[in-house]
Amino acid sequence: MLTRSTPAHRLLVRLLVAAQVLYVLGVAGAGYATTAYGQHLWLATTPVDLHSLQYESFVRLHYIAAEAPLTTWHGLAAPQRRQAVYVLLATAPGPDSLATVAGVYDAELKPTAGQAVLRGWITDVYAHTLGLRYNLERYYVPGDSPLRLGKTSPAVRVGVSIAPWGQARIERVQLLRH
Amino acid sequence: MSRKFLEIESPAWVAEGLITEDQRQRLLARYPPEAVQAVGLLPLLGSILVGLSALSVVAANWQRLPTTVRLALLLGSLLAAYAGGEYFLRRGNRRLGHGLVGLGLVAFGVSIILTSQLYQLVGYDVSGLLAWVLVGVLLSYVYTSQPLTLLPIVIGAAVQTYCTQALGTFSYATIGLVALGSGYRWWRRPDTLVASVLAVGLLWQAALWVALSHAKITWFFIPAMLVYAAGDWHRDRPASRALQGPPLIAAYLFALGLALFGETDQYAGLLRPPVLAYLGALAAVFILSVAGKRQQGRLASLPDWLLLLPGFYLPGGLPLAIATLVVLYAHAGSVLARAHRSGDAEQLTLGTVLFVVATMVAYFKLTWAFLDKSLFFLIGGVLLLSLSWYLRRRNAQRLAAGVAAVATPTTPAALTPDHHPTT
Repeated sequence: MLTRSTPAHRLLVRLLVAAQVLYVLGVAGAGYATTAYGQHLWLATTPVDLHSLQYESFVRLHYIAAEAPLTTWHGLAAPQRRQAVYVLLATAPGPDSLATVAGVYDAELKPTAGQAVLRGWITDVYAHTLGLRYNLERYYVPGDSPLRLGKTSPAVRVGVSIAPWGQARIERVQLLRH
Repeated sequence: MSRKFLEIESPAWVAEGLITEDQRQRLLARYPPEAVQAVGLLPLLGSILVGLSALSVVAANWQRLPTTVRLALLLGSLLAAYAGGEYFLRRGNRRLGHGLVGLGLVAFGVSIILTSQLYQLVGYDVSGLLAWVLVGVLLSYVYTSQPLTLLPIVIGAAVQTYCTQALGTFSYATIGLVALGSGYRWWRRPDTLVASVLAVGLLWQAALWVALSHAKITWFFIPAMLVYAAGDWHRDRPASRALQGPPLIAAYLFALGLALFGETDQYAGLLRPPVLAYLGALAAVFILSVAGKRQQGRLASLPDWLLLLPGFYLPGGLPLAIATLVVLYAHAGSVLARAHRSGDAEQLTLGTVLFVVATMVAYFKLTWAFLDKSLFFLIGGVLLLSLSWYLRRRNAQRLAAGVAAVATPTTPAALTPDHHPTT
């Protein structure tokens, strides 16, 4: 064990602190890179409840893709609660089309053109459907977002980008005009 | 001794001729009034308030701040905490220095979480937070400080909780880092508080593993008794007992639960893992523990293992309840016997409590069903009173006999406060 104030100790502390700063910058870099190199798609949600914004800095998003028919399950065993899954999404051509669930898999798979894979977890197994969670349900609303000025429960769509290495992030939440 | 105590009591000492007035004045001068120290706390209190106000301003406007400013704030506070810690350590203020280094470690974890939140980024494994545990363990080696040794153990338990609850996987890397990293740190510099926290932290992670893998809960005792066996191999006796405390308490509570609820076969059925696999694993840990006890000359503590007897393989119902009660009695008896031999007052008290608990469980089990309830409580109360009277009397006799046999004056602190020499 090192004693304090030797040059070796000071160097070690500096290296450790520098590694921590670099690591945090790396997390930020992964955020940028996911947008820069990732696959972009739109997900549909139910209208957003903005009441929670009065107390917290985020809103909860309820994705349409959070519920999938049990027939879309592709796994060796029956689906279990809290199991990690890979959700195959079909993205119709066109920049504004919404992605829909094409299948839920228990193992990694390669998407073809017009498809994307988003990772998630099973929250509930119902008689005919699966409840899914993507860890993208909390949206921290930026200060300049139109959601902060919006109606009580606006209809939105959520822009998500999925990096080739599997990380995903919400890029933006867009208000839908009717 | 407080200044106030001295001021109130010392005139009587002078009056009784214990000390002179001059000596009294010198004693009072030796312990200056503490008002000076209390004033010294004011700057600390002030800086805490200023810090809190800055924190609340930042928190209220967090979402409105540009991304780069938020990142700079996070990294700035991280760097400031570490730099401040090093500065105060160099000036010789160890407590403040280590506190600030700990704050820097917390700032690192907060930075990881808030930065992923900044980009609405999802991680699918625990690697993001694993770095936090790793840095914590490394810091506990760089600085010789008890709080900095405790911090990575607590962080590891928190990260594992997040990992199992939110991500649905168990992070073997996290438990490995805590068990080997923090464990080796404790091994090199034994400390009773670190030992207890380490054991509780590891048991917590083991419990999360059992819950996540839907295994029979009895599997919990394999890692728990591994922690216990590690204590057997350590040279420092108080530190090893502190490490063994949490696993032993867990095993005792489990045996108590088995005695109370083991009758229903449904409950016992939840506890039965495959016989060969479980008993094999338990025997391996047992051999490890016995070898350690032999090497350190502590075979007297072998009856601790009585609590681990796999009674739940017995058919449920009365045989299981009675077998468990016998085990509880045997364990309490072994603690009492060991305490009698060594004349350890604390162990005597513990053994007495264990014996009384076993008796109450037995009484409750065997008579609740058919005794009139007022009679039940009356007999129970009388039984408890007479048992405690008898055991206390016996303990006192033993301790007095031990003192007489050694024929050397023992320190009064070694005796329990309720020790009454019998005549």
